[in-house]
Amino acid sequence: MKPLAWTRQFVERNGWPLAAYIVLAVSFWVLVLIVLPQLVMVDFSLRFDLPPAKQGGPEDVWTLANYRYFLFGPPGDPLGWNYVDLAVFARTLIAAVFVTLFDLAICYPIAYYLAQAASVRAARMLAVALVIPYWVNEILRAFAFRIIFGTGGLINTLLLTIGLVDQPIDFIRANVALYAGLSYAYVLLMVFPIYNAIESLDRNQIEAARDLGAPWWRIHWRVVIPFAKPGITSGCTMVFMLAAGALAAPQILGGPSSLWFTQIIYRTFFESVNWPRGAAYAVILLVVCTLLVLLVMRLFKVRLGEVGR
Amino acid sequence: MSARRRANGLTRLAVGAYLALFFTYLFGPLVIMSITAFNSSAFPRLYPWECLTFEWFAKLVGDQRLMTGLRNSLVIGAGVVVLSVLLGLAGSLLLTQIWPRARSAYYTLVTAPILMPGVVIGISTVLFWDRLAHAIGASYGSALYNGIFLTILGQSCFIASYCMLVFVARLQRFDLQLLDAALDLGATNVQAFRKILLPFLKPAIFSAAVIAFLASFENYNTSVFTISHYNTFTIEVAQKVRLGIDPSISALAVIVIVLTLFAALAREAWMRRAEQRRAEGPVPGGIVGAVAGNPAAVLATFLLVAVAGVAVFAARHDPSTCKAAALEERLERQRRLEEEARQRRPAEVAPATPAAPTGQVQNPGRGMFGDIFTAPGSPPASPAPPPAPETRNPGQDAFGDIFTAPGARPPPQQP
Amino acid sequence: MVAGFGVELENVWVQFDSFVAVRNANVRIEPGEFFSFLGPSGCGKTTILRTISGFLEPSRGVVRIGGRDMAGIGPNRRPTALIFQNLALFPLMRVWENIAFALEVRGAGVAERRRRAEQLLELIALPGQGDKLVHELSGGQKQRVAIARALCAEPQVLLLDEPLSALDLKLRQHMRTELRAIQRQVGLTFVYITHDQGEALAMSDHVAVMREGVIEQIADGRTLYDDPATTFVASFVGENNAFPGRVTAEADGMAVIETAVGHLRARIATAARGQLAPGDRAMVFVRPEALAVAGPGVLPGEGRIAGRVTAEEFDGPSYHLFLEGPGGTPIKTSLVNHGIGRSSSIGATLTLAFDPMKAVALPAGELAQEE
Repeated sequence: MKPLAWTRQFVERNGWPLAAYIVLAVSFWVLVLIVLPQLVMVDFSLRFDLPPAKQGGPEDVWTLANYRYFLFGPPGDPLGWNYVDLAVFARTLIAAVFVTLFDLAICYPIAYYLAQAASVRAARMLAVALVIPYWVNEILRAFAFRIIFGTGGLINTLLLTIGLVDQPIDFIRANVALYAGLSYAYVLLMVFPIYNAIESLDRNQIEAARDLGAPWWRIHWRVVIPFAKPGITSGCTMVFMLAAGALAAPQILGGPSSLWFTQIIYRTFFESVNWPRGAAYAVILLVVCTLLVLLVMRLFKVRLGEVGR
Repeated sequence: MSARRRANGLTRLAVGAYLALFFTYLFGPLVIMSITAFNSSAFPRLYPWECLTFEWFAKLVGDQRLMTGLRNSLVIGAGVVVLSVLLGLAGSLLLTQIWPRARSAYYTLVTAPILMPGVVIGISTVLFWDRLAHAIGASYGSALYNGIFLTILGQSCFIASYCMLVFVARLQRFDLQLLDAALDLGATNVQAFRKILLPFLKPAIFSAAVIAFLASFENYNTSVFTISHYNTFTIEVAQKVRLGIDPSISALAVIVIVLTLFAALAREAWMRRAEQRRAEGPVPGGIVGAVAGNPAAVLATFLLVAVAGVAVFAARHDPSTCKAAALEERLERQRRLEEEARQRRPAEVAPATPAAPTGQVQNPGRGMFGDIFTAPGSPPASPAPPPAPETRNPGQDAFGDIFTAPGARPPPQQP
Repeated sequence: MVAGFGVELENVWVQFDSFVAVRNANVRIEPGEFFSFLGPSGCGKTTILRTISGFLEPSRGVVRIGGRDMAGIGPNRRPTALIFQNLALFPLMRVWENIAFALEVRGAGVAERRRRAEQLLELIALPGQGDKLVHELSGGQKQRVAIARALCAEPQVLLLDEPLSALDLKLRQHMRTELRAIQRQVGLTFVYITHDQGEALAMSDHVAVMREGVIEQIADGRTLYDDPATTFVASFVGENNAFPGRVTAEADGMAVIETAVGHLRARIATAARGQLAPGDRAMVFVRPEALAVAGPGVLPGEGRIAGRVTAEEFDGPSYHLFLEGPGGTPIKTSLVNHGIGRSSSIGATLTLAFDPMKAVALPAGELAQEE
């Protein structure tokens, strides 16, 4: 169908008032809330941090300085590379991958159990039980982990009382609390896509495989996992992106010496008050994470359209 | 056969153990946090248990900044609900009839905000509206610089996507011929939409509104950039948590968890009742009829009664005697430890008894002090000096522990 | 009683991108008649219905209802009401709200709507059931509610899109009679779409047979069955034995055709008069019930076909014999069950006879090439 014919049909089908509402609302959303802000952010990231008086003046030209700073640090820095920021960035990505894999490992069995093994009633109760912690505020969830892992927290008190250790273990500094808290935060986002995928798998396929003498691990490897691949990818994508972009949990649970990349962005904005560099770092986070996700999807041969259902 | 049965039993055991572990991971932190809300210990802890107290709830309600944040959050939540539901609905309606070739690109575009890091959305929103305000020469007092306005827009960017997905799921079960039927019977397009599609979408509108409100209320990553000099409830809580942890946050968690639990149970009860009605015709009316044979309703009612009971008990409960005893015991232990330490290392200076200045030196910039001195709801000063840090716990939390304790008395140095 | 409006399609073409769904349709539906479009799925009959109801605009040609050109008039402003294949009853409304929906959108008050709904419930023999929810009704009741809902719009033409296809066989036969009765009672023009030739023949005053977007024949049921205009109509409407061949002689409306089973004489279909000359490719159609086991003496002019019985089917009133004629030609014959003991004839060679006046000769169209 030609776009013009489509437009005419669209208006005819919905009538003027409704067609106008749909078009205006979607344009506002897509342009004003999604696309234009991203473009402006990219534009900001390509500019110098100038005082308001000089903005729009002759010095206000496009530059790659902010990206250069991310790679090489301040001009004339003897180190050559901006080790601090690069290391934090790499650490953030690796930790996010780790959190994703951990969530996948603990959530796959639950999703499978919910979808195939549990009775309808039990599955519904378990689903409600899964949702409840999710609706408790992210900050409060992180706070709970602080209570548990703090130096004077539950685990250390227990360990000291039993006499297993004589010095409290600093879980916060070791980032154990952060990883546990992040994994905890996104459990639901991993369970539900996988559950949706496995639920549509015909039980007979599993029984047929079992009937043919396949051991349980082979049934999962050859039948269930390939079928649930879009769901698994969807869950992993969400958990990875949200973990890499998390801000509250690292601020509350992160150790004093280790930063999350979002914290660097936050500091660039609020402590250095350098918006162009903050914008550049945000662009880097967005672009690199997206590319990573696309790369993994290419590797596992999952199309974008299959994700997010 | 019996071997197989045994294997089956083992599998069940393993599955049961796994489920138990998983849900312990899920609920353990929430349960522990909730219990700490009732311990008078100034550091939120289960053990050692000092005294049963409800003072943390009082402190929470008395916190002016939190209450202002709550008000802002409600305003923002209302704005986000309206905007996101409108945008998400339009987005889903367009998806059902968009030009086929543009469909997948459009879908990717409008669901992408869900995956975008919240900080990126927050930053881009601030930058875009800042640039726009510059371009049209808006003054700083105008809406374009208003933190609440910007937060509503920034949050709606991705919350509208959630809403859209809710609508899309519902629309997949809609028979488009119903609209044709309405038109054929003489309805205008608007009438068909209002009388046929909208009633069908009503449950989805309700779910979308609830999801939008909750997502808005708990959002931190985006709001922290867009809010400027205002603060939302969640941002206030985050700041409190970052500055020092204190059981009034646990008390807040108890309130949130009870509300969530109650909402989940009420919803479950309502759904089961609807199912029963569909299956068996009219259900006996009245409260007894509504609750009978509906475990979720029983639990919800029980929860209500329990909360009411606790509230009554809390009003009468006075933990001051117990607290004085606990304090005494702590001081006693403190002295003993100091004694031991002195005997072991006589040369060394004993840990300072009024520990506050030490703490300040050791932890600059942790904001501990600001917190104690401004801590609202502190009980009136008592003659007892503040307990010194326990030497076994030299970490930050040990300091945070005393210094943020509202139960702790202001140090004598305070003017 | 109102007689409804007539419907005219004049040179109507409906085209989707490169696909032509309806090709040059010319139809005249008289006021108050029960008219059916019959054809296999995908033949364009639903497209025609949607064009009449206004959901589609014809790419070319004119649709007139009650003599008025309908171009640019939307479905909500046409004097038609459509009964959808899946009925499209509004699931969230009660039965009476469904029925009175047309009044609701015109701004009628509750009292008036209830009164009218009750009248219509009376008409469809469901009095007092207005407060039920749609999903509490049985299949046949939903059907009738859909009709009442359409009638409430006071249309001049009622359009029905295979409304019986979801019902089981018994109910479907019952609803046929009922539909026809309702049509007589309200006296409206009914335009009915179906792929079931039994339905079309049983209910309609006239039937248009469609194939791949083309209307092949418009006639009453008897004519379609006995005097088909095309080979498609001959084979689609009812069962038929088809024998392709070449015309060897033609005279007085009769033709002799040389086929694999021998020279067969047949009446030339009315539509094919003057189109069959010796040497032309043609087809002879003989209905199974027109074939009988040949008697001992040959009657004058009688056609004869021989074949070996390969299978036999008994369905109560009749026996159906499946034979294999010369060159593997399949032949079917239906014999009346006379109730006396009859042994199986499988494997026997039989000679079948028919009256040439009951056989039809048509020019071989595309059908012959396919076979």
